[in-house]
Amino acid sequence: MQPNPNMKNKRALLLFAAVSLLTAPFFKSTAQETGRTGLDTLPAAVEKLQSDYSVLSRLKLSGYIQSQFQLADTAGIESFAGGNFPAGIDNRFSVRRGRFKLAYDYSFSQYVIQVDVTEKGVGIKDAYVSFTEPWLQSFAVTAGVFDRPFGYEISYSSSMRESPERSRMFQTLFPGERDLGAKLTFQPPKTSRFNFIKVDAGLFSGAGPTVIDFDRYKDFIGHVSLNKSTRDERFKLGLGVSYYNGGWRQGTKYSYSVLDFTGSGTNPLYGFMIDSTTTRVGDKLRREYFGADAQLILDLPIGITQLRGEFITGTQPGIEKSSVSPSTQPSTDAYLRNFRGGYAYLIQNIGQSRNQLVLKYDVFDPNTAVSGNQLGNSAGLPSGVKSTSAYDAKYTTFGFGWIYRFNSQVKITAYYDWVINETSSNIVNASTLKDLSNDRKDNVFTIRVQYKF
Amino acid sequence: MTLLMPVMMTAQTFKIKGSDTVLPLSQAEAESYMKKNQGSAITVTGGGSGVGLSAIISGTTDIAQASRKMKMDEKVKMQEAGKAFKEVIIAYDALAVVVNQANPVSQLTREQLEGIFTGKITNWKEVGGEDMKIVTYSRETSSGTYEFFKEHVLNKKNFATTALLMPATGAIIQSVSQTKGAIGYVGLAYLESKVKALKVSYDGGKNYILPSVENAMNKSYPITRPLYYYYLIASEKSVLPFVNYILSAEGQKIVQDQGYVPLKK
Repeated sequence: MQPNPNMKNKRALLLFAAVSLLTAPFFKSTAQETGRTGLDTLPAAVEKLQSDYSVLSRLKLSGYIQSQFQLADTAGIESFAGGNFPAGIDNRFSVRRGRFKLAYDYSFSQYVIQVDVTEKGVGIKDAYVSFTEPWLQSFAVTAGVFDRPFGYEISYSSSMRESPERSRMFQTLFPGERDLGAKLTFQPPKTSRFNFIKVDAGLFSGAGPTVIDFDRYKDFIGHVSLNKSTRDERFKLGLGVSYYNGGWRQGTKYSYSVLDFTGSGTNPLYGFMIDSTTTRVGDKLRREYFGADAQLILDLPIGITQLRGEFITGTQPGIEKSSVSPSTQPSTDAYLRNFRGGYAYLIQNIGQSRNQLVLKYDVFDPNTAVSGNQLGNSAGLPSGVKSTSAYDAKYTTFGFGWIYRFNSQVKITAYYDWVINETSSNIVNASTLKDLSNDRKDNVFTIRVQYKF
Repeated sequence: MTLLMPVMMTAQTFKIKGSDTVLPLSQAEAESYMKKNQGSAITVTGGGSGVGLSAIISGTTDIAQASRKMKMDEKVKMQEAGKAFKEVIIAYDALAVVVNQANPVSQLTREQLEGIFTGKITNWKEVGGEDMKIVTYSRETSSGTYEFFKEHVLNKKNFATTALLMPATGAIIQSVSQTKGAIGYVGLAYLESKVKALKVSYDGGKNYILPSVENAMNKSYPITRPLYYYYLIASEKSVLPFVNYILSAEGQKIVQDQGYVPLKK
């Protein structure tokens, strides 16, 4: 049977009507959207961009790379200018820093991760969270791995620092600069007239940034600083005082302290006296530092002049052949020394040019009790008393540098470290690295290029 | 000397960013300059003095406009970026203290202003007005105007914690015009008839001076300050013709027309 053509038309009409009804909302919607003008959609697009931007603007990426070439006076020297030179090597290329920092700021909190990637490997430098209370906006808590709040040079980034390395004092007392811990910061907000005051105080593991604490003792670190500019913004002064009180667990039975065995004081004879009356395993070896720092910036017609200085004194527990703060439990006996150190910078920009000149004086005496020929003098010391050694010698370093900044990203630094060791006729050719008969030839020239973003 | 220099008219493209106080002046100067220099394109945006100075350090603007001097830390950052710069005073501004038109108080001493903005004085009746709570409005902390007012009027004392911080001068005008007990401060160029400018005394109430261009120029009005342009010496070739135009007699006339205080009459 052939379908009726009328019926066929009716069915087609009904089908069209049904499809039209079902799809009408979509067509309507499409018609509305395609009917929008560019001006209609612009606010929505801008709003979306603003929303996306507000999220992205909380995320901050920064970093820098420092590549350098160094030339030493003598092959295989011990050096604080970037570490010891391998035996037989008096020049080297190295990537000193390859930093990448990720920070996320949200409301009153901040999250920071920083890694260091060089030919020596990959390491975590910073990993911390920081919260500021929203009411007074004056107190903040920071927890994780971050710079120890002691003095000024620790937290002064090496991307900005004018000398290639931190002073010998800081490299000895605070290797790696950072530590695991938590601190409370007090600084009134910018709206306050007391914004120039900043107080940091915290508890830290004391072992450094990348190791698990090897004892149960926690170290206190505190720093109070004041910063003020004159009204004409031509003079700025910063002052600070710091205090460190902590220590590490003694892992062996004995500890040694410096004593004068003449008892007269006029012609002293110093040696390390063993304390063997009882076992000292597990005792806390006292680590206590007192510090003061000052920074002065002057805007002079010859260019911006900066004077910076810092002084630290105190007691450092170490081992026989090192005063460097340990990151793992030492397996040898402990040696307690009173130390003193400091540095001073004169930094002069040449007018508003891209050239800057740097002078640095750096001194560190790991054992203030002995000096000169008293070092290594064992004649007359009672049996069982150890003489002092080259590891108790004072070092003075004069630094001369020139910095040229191509732009805000790239700078080149040429710097010469003139290192002077204390001499003693009692430590002669003990080893080529620790001979104190003369000033050793261990000066280092560094040329470094830095890219920062 | 600069005023006598012929103004070079060349096509230039550059950006100006920073102080909201300087914004209307820069806009007016840029419009006039672009009319005379077909092909020149000058973009002017606000955000605050601090924002402008950060932008010139990071290289995202050619001129930073500021209602305060560059701070020492900012100078050091410029140095670290290897950027040499010049500072030019382009005009002066007077800060006007404004209240609602319905407020009968018409004059205050500096000490009274300090008391009001630091929160020691909280009711208008304490300064001869009606029994009405004082609502204080201020600019945000990134504003050079905020810093100038704090330093020169409040003697560096803190603003009251109850002070409402506004993102722009226009918002202060708007809020003060709508709130009977309100008080705020704005650049002279922003003064509008919907708010009332107060006479101010800096001699303990002996002389009260109304904020005006004339009083600022004859130095009888005490709350005045210089307005700055900062530009990179490396960009001097492109921006100097415009800077010279502002410093010219024609540019300084625009300064006065816009409600700012010209460098010289």
